[in-house]
Amino acid sequence: MDLTDLGAAIGIAFTYFTIIYLTGLGGLFSERSGIVNIGLEGLMIIGTVTGSFGTYYFTTELGLGLPWGPVMGLAFGAVSGMLFAGVHALATITFRVDHIVSGVVINLVAVGLARFLSQIFFGQATQSDPGQPHLDTVDVPLLSDLPWGLGRAFENLSPVVFVAVLMVFPVTFALYRTRWGLRLRSTGENPEATRSLGVRVAPLRYQAVLMSGLLAGLSGAFLSVEVQYNWREGQTLGLGFIALAALILSNWNPVRLMGAAALFGFAQAVPLRLSDAPIINLLPPQFIRMTPYIVTIVAIAGFVGRVRPPAAAGRAYEGAGGT
Amino acid sequence: MAVEAKVPTAVRGARPQWLENSLGQILALLIALAIALLAGALIIVAYGESPVTVYGAILEFAVTDDGPGYVLAIATPLIFSALALAVCFKAGLFNIGVEGQYLFAMVPATWAALELDFLPGPIHVPAILIAAMLGGMLWAGIAGVLKVTTGAHEVVTTIMLNGIAVSFLSWALNNPLRFTESGAGTNVDLRSDRFVESALIGDLGGFFGFRPSAHLSWLFLLAIVAAVMVWFLVKRMRLGYEARAVGSSPGSAKAGGIGIGAVQIKLFLISGALAGLVGMQQLLADKGYLPQNYQAQLGFTGIAVAFLGQNNAIGIIFAAILWGALSRGESALQIRTDVPREFVIILQGILILAVVIVYQIAKRRLARRQLQRAGAEEQELEEAAGPPADVVLAEGER
Repeated sequence: MDLTDLGAAIGIAFTYFTIIYLTGLGGLFSERSGIVNIGLEGLMIIGTVTGSFGTYYFTTELGLGLPWGPVMGLAFGAVSGMLFAGVHALATITFRVDHIVSGVVINLVAVGLARFLSQIFFGQATQSDPGQPHLDTVDVPLLSDLPWGLGRAFENLSPVVFVAVLMVFPVTFALYRTRWGLRLRSTGENPEATRSLGVRVAPLRYQAVLMSGLLAGLSGAFLSVEVQYNWREGQTLGLGFIALAALILSNWNPVRLMGAAALFGFAQAVPLRLSDAPIINLLPPQFIRMTPYIVTIVAIAGFVGRVRPPAAAGRAYEGAGGT
Repeated sequence: MAVEAKVPTAVRGARPQWLENSLGQILALLIALAIALLAGALIIVAYGESPVTVYGAILEFAVTDDGPGYVLAIATPLIFSALALAVCFKAGLFNIGVEGQYLFAMVPATWAALELDFLPGPIHVPAILIAAMLGGMLWAGIAGVLKVTTGAHEVVTTIMLNGIAVSFLSWALNNPLRFTESGAGTNVDLRSDRFVESALIGDLGGFFGFRPSAHLSWLFLLAIVAAVMVWFLVKRMRLGYEARAVGSSPGSAKAGGIGIGAVQIKLFLISGALAGLVGMQQLLADKGYLPQNYQAQLGFTGIAVAFLGQNNAIGIIFAAILWGALSRGESALQIRTDVPREFVIILQGILILAVVIVYQIAKRRLARRQLQRAGAEEQELEEAAGPPADVVLAEGER
């Protein structure tokens, strides 16, 4: 029995899982605090270009070498995403602009800003030189020795993949076991009640939106630094929207988000490695790429159980005296 | 917008409301434009150039020589796209699926251009446009029906339908629409066959002395006609009235005997028909075939243009032209200055951010001032003004 292709597909799925899960977690923080964030794609785009530049700069220019160069590059991408998310926070929280409008603007501006930055960073608008430094890949002990080629799934993985998988623990703890998490969730459900308990709504929401930029930026930086080894325009390929879809399907829950991200990640990997497998070879690859969106429409339409967003998500909070 | 309909009576001693609204809107736009130009000037100075030179070059490229031809050609699809958004927005529906609707609609339109080539010239183009509108209506209709029957939020469903449309278009381009005649021995990018002459939209720029390379076509006039029709629909027709009623207060609309679901579906279909026409400029005027590297993002850019034009059909025409003039300025920067051409996209981004923020603040001020004037009836009015007008999303839900 030879399952090498399946193993390879699962390996690719881990990569996509990382991108979708990190970005989805970003969206989770933001939306759980009541700020709808459809600008995730744009935040990722900023992460890709700045992460790639940061890696080049810290590794080669500053001579940090491995592994600290790429690590600093990833951090640079994450922080840049966070700063860019500050625009969304300012518009929606302070100026109470409609969340969807602001998100659309974020996505639009990100495309232009990325080109602009790329021109400054790399002297060319749409890509950086290929083959940039990246972290050494790792094999998972034991699992990478699985028979029938299944071990392929656990070979040559970026360390960031493990960070993403383990991220579920701190996030779940912060959201459900800390006072901060309780307050964050309650501002997303009922900001008036939250404020009546003496909790200031705006700072919490700022923190949540900045957090979403941090995670989406990290996810974008992971894509350019650790997966493709360079920056290219359009490399996010709508993954920010797929992350949004996963977030909706997960019912805004970090644990279920893992499942949704794994499912959608696998759907991305299938056309790449399993297009010749039985049944799958009957479908054009483009139709397989549609599955995350179709699944989400089915879920949101309530054909199979209903998903429910945080009650106050998308609504501006008036607050007395701008708190 | 929602505010207009919300404070209909009891404002004593005020200027006529339409005047106050339009003056406020124009002022807000000017302030936003000033902020954007100022912020842009800072970036220009950082590049060691003079803002006067850079802005002068942008202006010069927009108004001299073939400039206006290029500008109006860029504006054409944006007018359709912004109108599609504005129609839905009147009823508090946020159709951010214009992007997917026009991408999807390019498939039936390309099919009609290739397969209906037996039609004589004057019928062929309308047939293609109808195919495109039907395609857009189908794609928008899905979101409309899902909204009305299951309550699925249109923002979510249309985002998903956008993703599906991209894949569908890619599939169509690889299979039924894939070119059959490739030049012998040449390496052609993936595209459809070239359309026959009768499928192309006639050049309009020639009448004004613009070179054909500007690609200004009759489609621009069609866009103007569409804008006037949308204006008439919103202001003068029953459906427009019902849409505004649903948008400002779904509860009262329902009590007034308006079938909310029917209104919403009709608006989605009209919006989709307009969205279908967005792709026609590049298919029938710019290229003459469906290329793999088709121009995307026009649906999202249309959202920016719609907000720049304050969702007013006539305002949208001017907003699209302004946007087109800025986009045309990219070439100006490349030729005349050391500032990278991408600066224009940044400038457009700052402009649209400034517009939404300034307009938001202006709207609040206006509402507050009208409340104060209302004096004794303040109490009642405050309830009527109720939740802020910017929560269109949440209101649409109820």
